[in-house]
Amino acid sequence: MFRKVLVLAVGGALALAATGCSSSKSASAGKAETGPVTLTYGIWDPKQKPAMQEIADAFHASHPNITINIQLTPNADYWTKLQTAAASGTAPDVFWMSTTRIGLYAGQKQLLSLSDKPGFDNSPFPKSLNDVYTLDGKQYGMPKDFDTVGLWYNKKLFDAAGVKYPTAAWTWQDVISAAQKLNDPGKGVWGIASPDWTQENLYNTMLQAGGQAITPDHKKSGFDDPKSLAGLQYALDFVTKYHVSPTAQQMTDTQPDQLFASGKVAMFADGDYDMPEYKAAAGLDADVAPLPAGPDGKKGTVINGLANVIYAKTKHAQAAWEFVKYLGTKDANEVQAKTGTVIPAYNGLSATWVASTPQYHLQSFIDQLDVAVPYPVSKNTAAWTTPMQTTLDQIWGGKLDLQTGAKQIADQMNASLAKE
Amino acid sequence: MGRTQRLWPVHVILVVGAAAMVAPFLWQLITSLQTTGETTSVPPHFLPSWQWSNYSQVFHDTKFAQQFLNSVLQTVVRVVAQVLFCSMAAYAFARLRFPGRNALFLVMLAVLMVPSQVYLLPQYQLVQNLGLLNTLSGVVLPGLFSAFGTFMLRQFFLSLPNEVEEAARLDGAGTFRIFWSVMLPLAKPGLISMGVLTVLWSWNDLLWPLVVVNDDAKMPLTVGLSTLQGEHLTEYPLLMAGSLLASLPMIVLFLAAQRRITEGIALTGTK
Amino acid sequence: MSATESPSVAAGKAAAGAGPERGPARRPVAARRPRFSKAHMKEWAWGYAMIAPLFLGLSLFYLWPIVQSAYFSFTSWGVFGGRQWVGLKNYSSFMSDPQLPRAAWNTVKYSLIVLVGIPLSIVFAALMNQVSGKYASLYRILYFIPVVTMPAAVAMIWRWLYNGDYGLINYLLSLIGIHGPHWVSDDRYTVWAMGLVGIWSSLGYNMIIFAAGLKNIPRQYYEASSLDGAGRVRQFFSITLPLLSPSIFFVSVLSVIGGLQMFDMVLLMLGKANPALAGSKTIAYLFYEDAFVTGNQGLAAAIAVVLTLVLLVLTALQFRLQKRWVHYG
Repeated sequence: MFRKVLVLAVGGALALAATGCSSSKSASAGKAETGPVTLTYGIWDPKQKPAMQEIADAFHASHPNITINIQLTPNADYWTKLQTAAASGTAPDVFWMSTTRIGLYAGQKQLLSLSDKPGFDNSPFPKSLNDVYTLDGKQYGMPKDFDTVGLWYNKKLFDAAGVKYPTAAWTWQDVISAAQKLNDPGKGVWGIASPDWTQENLYNTMLQAGGQAITPDHKKSGFDDPKSLAGLQYALDFVTKYHVSPTAQQMTDTQPDQLFASGKVAMFADGDYDMPEYKAAAGLDADVAPLPAGPDGKKGTVINGLANVIYAKTKHAQAAWEFVKYLGTKDANEVQAKTGTVIPAYNGLSATWVASTPQYHLQSFIDQLDVAVPYPVSKNTAAWTTPMQTTLDQIWGGKLDLQTGAKQIADQMNASLAKE
Repeated sequence: MGRTQRLWPVHVILVVGAAAMVAPFLWQLITSLQTTGETTSVPPHFLPSWQWSNYSQVFHDTKFAQQFLNSVLQTVVRVVAQVLFCSMAAYAFARLRFPGRNALFLVMLAVLMVPSQVYLLPQYQLVQNLGLLNTLSGVVLPGLFSAFGTFMLRQFFLSLPNEVEEAARLDGAGTFRIFWSVMLPLAKPGLISMGVLTVLWSWNDLLWPLVVVNDDAKMPLTVGLSTLQGEHLTEYPLLMAGSLLASLPMIVLFLAAQRRITEGIALTGTK
Repeated sequence: MSATESPSVAAGKAAAGAGPERGPARRPVAARRPRFSKAHMKEWAWGYAMIAPLFLGLSLFYLWPIVQSAYFSFTSWGVFGGRQWVGLKNYSSFMSDPQLPRAAWNTVKYSLIVLVGIPLSIVFAALMNQVSGKYASLYRILYFIPVVTMPAAVAMIWRWLYNGDYGLINYLLSLIGIHGPHWVSDDRYTVWAMGLVGIWSSLGYNMIIFAAGLKNIPRQYYEASSLDGAGRVRQFFSITLPLLSPSIFFVSVLSVIGGLQMFDMVLLMLGKANPALAGSKTIAYLFYEDAFVTGNQGLAAAIAVVLTLVLLVLTALQFRLQKRWVHYG
């Protein structure tokens, strides 16, 4: 009887150990690189998943012993999960990197350098993107795409209100007047959605006003520049002065891109990456124009670009490089362009992307490259963007006035930058 | 009878309460069949436009079937292990005498005294050091053992009469034999109650799998659902469809086993 | 939410249930045997053997981690790994954290709101006991569905119900002329919103406990008192409540323990990108944030230790107070 129990217990323990051990063994078996290898590929945008899957499948077809397992983590959790995973040695083999975090990850030796790998070629990519992903002479990221921001507008609502569509010649004043004409509380429609989102809204309005979020040498904050302040004020006025935008709370309950997709706001400054969402929205008749010019006639948009990187502690460095190399080829970038998912970083393919969805003037995004300013980053961007966003939330929520808030952001940003 | 006549106000109140309990789910169902445009209409559309595509999109966007299986697997393993380990220990604490028994029991109670936050981080570290992050083993391992389950079953064993045991002993049966062939069958109602409560807990367990698993093919439904929410922040029709699908299994289980669940809860509550 | 109870919620059950109970079976025959007989040793061996798997597991995954957490609370962790001893620094950081007062108040507020659910569930339990069996079963099922539903699902459903512009609740309020606020994105209302969901999702569970407790009250008391001319209300306060007090005590201990640990609703119903999050955090949420978002595990461990101490004190307090108002029949 006792023996029976002993056998059961030991058997159970062994079974458990087996399941645990087998999963870690298969991970290390790949070291030989001759057997089949599975790479994890970490991404955050569900809208891009189909395109990524297509690229992964194409890669697998040409490299049958390497399978790509796409791991999607929602944007809000991506960086925190990645950090925890990196600290415990379990980050994905290949993953998306952004200009805001490259300094941290490369600086803390969490990435493999790509520029010394066999067959590395970064010539098809814009110099600015190559540079931003290079640290101490080594390039760590294979540029993947770039984003700019445009003014999306709802044609149906414009027609109904008799307002002319936005053009490249629009200024802030045009946007304000249009928003006021389009605002229709009776129908539950707002003229424009102006959230405290920095990439889509505030960084750009600051540029258009002649200010900036951070100095080009990444050493000082631009939030205490009165011109930057004017840019912030312009965006805030839609909510607090003209009352033509949903409030911060309303835009938390229902996200502005949702509101735009369901025809509740007539205009929304948004990136090109939300185009698939608007394309798929039932009953939405929309288009996009370049962002308006500020009071001095200045135009501006931030340009951000993602890159594919390799985790330093990957167990399949060779296979990972094969995949990243493939991600940098024309074929892979063409998938991104053809499906209209995002603007690929590969030179010369933006026309393909524009042509993928002819019903929108996607050229607006490409035309703005002339006035594009690199995304505000520093060595440890997250250290100041997190408190910055909290302060912006307070300003937009009416808890803090703009002057005090902007000064607070500038002070805290400078303190953080000084530590770098 | 006069008594039935006076009961209708009671029913009215109970029905109103029941409606408050159930109405959110009805609204969830209705919303799951709408388009995003319909959800943002004021006044709300009470009759949806039957967008069954929301449900197919849930299956498309998440590895729903896989995650369902993960939940089932994790639950089965944890429940079987807990019933086995806890019943053995509970019987020993209730019926066997050995030195230090009471002290060990108090030590076990100490586990119940601390909030889960206290052992969450070290458990994570431990699972990480064992190389079991992002695996099924890593998720189920801590959940194989339960101080609460042991406590509950001990109460139950204590309430069973001694005579059956006495008789078996006089017949010459060994300790484990008595446990396995005599006491366990007697304890079946308690085991089932404890088992069902453990199933409920395991199925709805969120935080631990959330921090342990990153791969959406290895997530249980709870984590998959919260990931869905993270991706489609305010696309309510999709979220409602996903949450409805994820909640159905437990509701079905509850309908099937509601008596046992009720008994189990009452068992813990009255003593 | 009861279906996701942690073992410490169960602690309340264990402790509260430590009333008069039957002791282990006494074997008069065994008491007269010599202490170290073969039969005794065999029983010992079996005793240890049968608790071994459980105890090994508990030690490895619960007892040792408790010790480790205490240790971690005195250390500080690097962004991508590495640990060093910092003494009481984590505790002082936590105590001086500007978020703490608000988080503590939110936690207390939430727990108090959920406690309001107790009288409500007593009333409903009493009502349910009055109706016949098959109706009672049906009601029990309906009231319990919120309890068995996944926390993420509950959070999603209520987040949608609470939507400021398009949610059902504000629509219903508008029908009676009230302009509902943004329940989930305005931090003046978020804790109330979460508290209401807390009551909603535990009502069915508490009802079952109270229904069983009510059934245990002998009918004679009621009959005797109505002969003496006592009305229903009088009976409720002089008979029902006192004799139900053990169950009330039990449920309130559970509610306090559960309420103090609430964080999943903050995470799931409000969401990380919510401007109202800053003003709606609970202590347990601060733990989660430090442990898994910021990666400041030492600080998180310190929070866990503080939370444990607070819980122990509160539970001990409740036990002390029970002597004054809980009547064990």
